[in-house]
Amino acid sequence: MNSPIASEFLGGGAARPARDGEAIRLVQASVRYRVPHERIGTFKEYLILWLQRKVKHHTFWALKDVSLEVRQGEAFGLIGQNGAGKSTLLKLVARVLRPTSGRVWVKGRVAPLLEIGAGFHPELTGRENVYLNGAMLGFTRQEMDARFDHIVDFAELWDFIDAPLRAYSSGMWARLGFAVAIDAEPQILIVDEILSVGDEAFQRKSLARIQGFQEQGVTILLVSHNMGVIESLCQRAAWLDHGRLQAIGEAREVIRAYRQSQPG
Amino acid sequence: MSEKTLATKPRSDVVVLRPSRGWTTLNLRDLWVYRELVYFLTWRDVKVRYKQTVLGALWAILQPLLNMIVLTVIFGNLAKMATDNIPRPIFTFTALLPWGLFSKALSDAGRSMLASRAMITKVYFPRLIIPLASVMGGVVDFVIQLGILLIMMVYFKITPTSAIWTLPFFLLLALITALGFGLWLSALNVLYRDVGYIIPFLTQTWLLVTPVGYSVKAIPAQWQLVYALNPMVGVVEGFRWALLGTQNPPWAVLAVSVLISLTLLISGMYYFRRMERTFADMV
Repeated sequence: MNSPIASEFLGGGAARPARDGEAIRLVQASVRYRVPHERIGTFKEYLILWLQRKVKHHTFWALKDVSLEVRQGEAFGLIGQNGAGKSTLLKLVARVLRPTSGRVWVKGRVAPLLEIGAGFHPELTGRENVYLNGAMLGFTRQEMDARFDHIVDFAELWDFIDAPLRAYSSGMWARLGFAVAIDAEPQILIVDEILSVGDEAFQRKSLARIQGFQEQGVTILLVSHNMGVIESLCQRAAWLDHGRLQAIGEAREVIRAYRQSQPG
Repeated sequence: MSEKTLATKPRSDVVVLRPSRGWTTLNLRDLWVYRELVYFLTWRDVKVRYKQTVLGALWAILQPLLNMIVLTVIFGNLAKMATDNIPRPIFTFTALLPWGLFSKALSDAGRSMLASRAMITKVYFPRLIIPLASVMGGVVDFVIQLGILLIMMVYFKITPTSAIWTLPFFLLLALITALGFGLWLSALNVLYRDVGYIIPFLTQTWLLVTPVGYSVKAIPAQWQLVYALNPMVGVVEGFRWALLGTQNPPWAVLAVSVLISLTLLISGMYYFRRMERTFADMV
């Protein structure tokens, strides 16, 4: 059902978009990482090994044949152990990675809360970093001017906004990153264990903000090891194990199946 | 909510991700959407660079001045090479302007992808912006240095020629060459870390085959076109011609330079786009 011919990255008219009411659709999406047995760091080493036909790659599938749909306005949870492929799936939706095979459709503006504050520079002030991070999310200066107060309000960092980021505590750093990313008016929000940011009060506030988005019809893709969070926020969930989809369906059911599989 | 009034970007299109095979398209539209990021990354590089040094922006002036002194001593006092009747400091400094821009852009762009690891693995934006911004970072220094050159010209009582309006063109040519080569180096550096060690050696050697310390007339006539395969020859000669009026406009040399530069840029962009998909895994 998918045309394998067109090869451009942005869909345009070339490929069939997600069906109505769908925000994200994965069709047999797989991601393979190739890890050389020994780290081949230089061209010379590579050349020698290649000539000896000794370039051995240990390949593993971080994600294998995963097909799922996330509906618009839905909060969708991803659960599974470390290394199950949850973060890889998020990176696919955030466009950081490409599938090795299969297709990924994403409809709408994505706000990646993968590792917030990733582009921050310690020598720049909080204010400068907010603008820089905004540009990274695709905003113009004027757009950021209009957002700035709101962002700093949310981060509660007015006292430090003109201090260089190296003077910030790690909690302040994360709060600022979170505030910028969450202000991006997303249509799809990707949340990776974000609720461990800041102190308890800030976490509550963040959770409230995410619930606010939910009420506005923003699609939310949430990864958490906290089953309570998944169960209270998400309607549906998927359980991944070693890159494969184990179960998908109503959040409560998927969590129960996951828990039963865990020893102890 | 109040944000509702803000314009949303025309990016609600469906994005399709598929395995990329072969030579992908350049996707310049995406680059345009993120144009502000080029400005911010350039500005960040410049700001951070000068914030961390004691002398700050003074380095933009000191570096070419020190280079000028060294090259003047080597090529003037030792090798005694001709300068087309231009005072040697001016003769050398004029060439060091585009050269400094080029060599700095090359080494910065070459390192840029590895230096931006944190961003690349976390957020999507067109990766091409990273080497592009590191090339643009040198333009700020260039403008400061151009001011110094003009002051020096007043001191040596040299009036710029009427061809000075062509200077932006030569600046552009230097940038295109730097970006083209920088794209190749930055992508290759992700694959092979050796490239990082080759770059200093490369720029050093390149300086010797570019007429910075000497005049292009030192090259025998039958070798001129071969010599022009180095696109920086056209750039440096163009700068001297536009500012100092050293000789007839170097048209033939320029044509070759432009051709080589554009080839470098286009091939560099395609190669970079092709390697782009592996960057998030490999940096």
